[in-house]
Amino acid sequence: GLFAHLELLEARAYKAAVKQEEMEQQKEKLARLRARVQELRLQRDELRAKLDLQRKRELGKEGAVLDPAQSSARAVVEWKIKKLKSMLQIFYLTGISGKLTKRGVCFCISTAYEGTYLDSYHLDLLTKPEVQIYRHSLPIFIPLQQIAKKFLQTDIRRFLAVLSDHLNAYMGRRYQADQLQERFSEQLEGTLQRNSLCNLLVFNYKVSSQSETFPFHARLLYGDPCCSLPTQVLVSC
Amino acid sequence: MDETVAEYIRRTVLKIPRDEIKAMLQKWGFLSEEQLETVNFHQIKDNISQDVVQLCEENSADIKQAAVLDMIYNHIYSNKRTWSVYQMSKRGEDTEVFDLTDFKKKFKRRLRSDLKNVTINFKEYEDNAIWIRIAWGTPYKKPNQYKTSYVVYHSQTPYVFISASVLKSNMPLLCQALVVASNYHDIREMELRSHSLNSLKDIVFKKYSQNFQSYYPRPLQERNVAPETDLRIVEENRSEKERIQRLTREAFGDGPQPKLEFAQYKLETMFKSDPTMDVLDKKEPFRCLVKFSSPHLLESLKSLAPMGMADAPLSPLLTCIPQKARNYFKIREKKGLLPGSFLSP
Repeated sequence: GLFAHLELLEARAYKAAVKQEEMEQQKEKLARLRARVQELRLQRDELRAKLDLQRKRELGKEGAVLDPAQSSARAVVEWKIKKLKSMLQIFYLTGISGKLTKRGVCFCISTAYEGTYLDSYHLDLLTKPEVQIYRHSLPIFIPLQQIAKKFLQTDIRRFLAVLSDHLNAYMGRRYQADQLQERFSEQLEGTLQRNSLCNLLVFNYKVSSQSETFPFHARLLYGDPCCSLPTQVLVSC
Repeated sequence: MDETVAEYIRRTVLKIPRDEIKAMLQKWGFLSEEQLETVNFHQIKDNISQDVVQLCEENSADIKQAAVLDMIYNHIYSNKRTWSVYQMSKRGEDTEVFDLTDFKKKFKRRLRSDLKNVTINFKEYEDNAIWIRIAWGTPYKKPNQYKTSYVVYHSQTPYVFISASVLKSNMPLLCQALVVASNYHDIREMELRSHSLNSLKDIVFKKYSQNFQSYYPRPLQERNVAPETDLRIVEENRSEKERIQRLTREAFGDGPQPKLEFAQYKLETMFKSDPTMDVLDKKEPFRCLVKFSSPHLLESLKSLAPMGMADAPLSPLLTCIPQKARNYFKIREKKGLLPGSFLSP
């Protein structure tokens, strides 16, 4: 009768209330998600703007507003690279530089004569089981095996120093012989006789004074392989 | 002028390509500019050579001067000959002062003391290379100018490059003369042969491209990233390609390779088969010869892995060729090849 009817109405009201609540929850959720979407969109736009700015800066366009934090980090890295490069340059200028390799060390010996930089040569050493030469690009007439036999196992610094002396002296002699041929070609008669190590030069040259020319014959012997000046000179008329 | 000299000059001129004849005669310097002007270098080679011989008659050329022309030809066309490399050794350790005049005198004296009939010519070049041309005769015959040996020697180095084309009996005489003249004690033939003299020099003088790790700032143009490719193409195995490139560069270096025509591997190893198959009754080494030939062997080996025809890294038997300075190998049982020691001279 009446109670059953009331029960029914109550149940209906209850269901309606639950539904209402659900809908409200859905609405709230939707609103929240919408807000989140907005947020993400905003973030995306910001990042895109930053990327564009980077690209524009790399292409070198004027008038871009730089993000201060980014530019200082970049500047620091650039400064570090520059510093490293100049350190390496200094090592190279000392004449002997080395780099560790997987199995040992690779040395680069650079040569120079009186302010002119000349060629560089490489020497690849293994350190295990003992120090030995793996490969190199030294001229074949430099007595590498002799120097290695004397110093390589016992005193590697001395080995490198002696080798560097030989190389620099050879390059110095060669440079001087080349310059002689180039710059004094009018005074030279015939060809300059030389050899691979440039430690013996034989040539004829003429000296002119007061419209008279005197022919001379010269023989320069460089007895010291580590020296770029001759040890014995013979000049004859 | 001797008939034989005239014929020799004529045949030498015929060998030269027509466009090069005038330049080579100028380099020879035996005929004056005015004489060369009188020759028409556009006619057929037969006629050019006749004219040249005529002019040489006027200047009374002898065999030594004719030999110089032959030397100039062989210097420019050295790749027409096969060159072998010989290595000299000595016991003493003094730094030598190499005197060219002394060398020539000793060489001629030694060779002539063994054999009276030889023609010997010397010519020095800018890169300190001394070229020697030898025409061999016998005690009863004049030297045969068409079967000549050429020797190229760089002072104060232990290596001699010889292009023989002679009787085997003359080689020991030649070797002895070289050893005596250059103040060494011993000479032996290396297992290295090629048509390209300059490549052989690069290999033994260590001038070929080796990839040294160093901090010396080298220009890195070759290492730049690949140029713009179509963005629609995606490389699936880029890391593999880069690995292959890196290994190839480590093995062969960056620059051009020395030019060799072949590498020969003589195998004296046991045939390894399934014991049940038992192909050979006797346990004897299986003799086999493997020969790789190519117009430019090392460049083709270098491109094998990048082209996908071989796995990288390549076998060290192939990549060690310039470093070991040999292109003839003997591979024996147990621990592989006939070793050249690590400190290759």
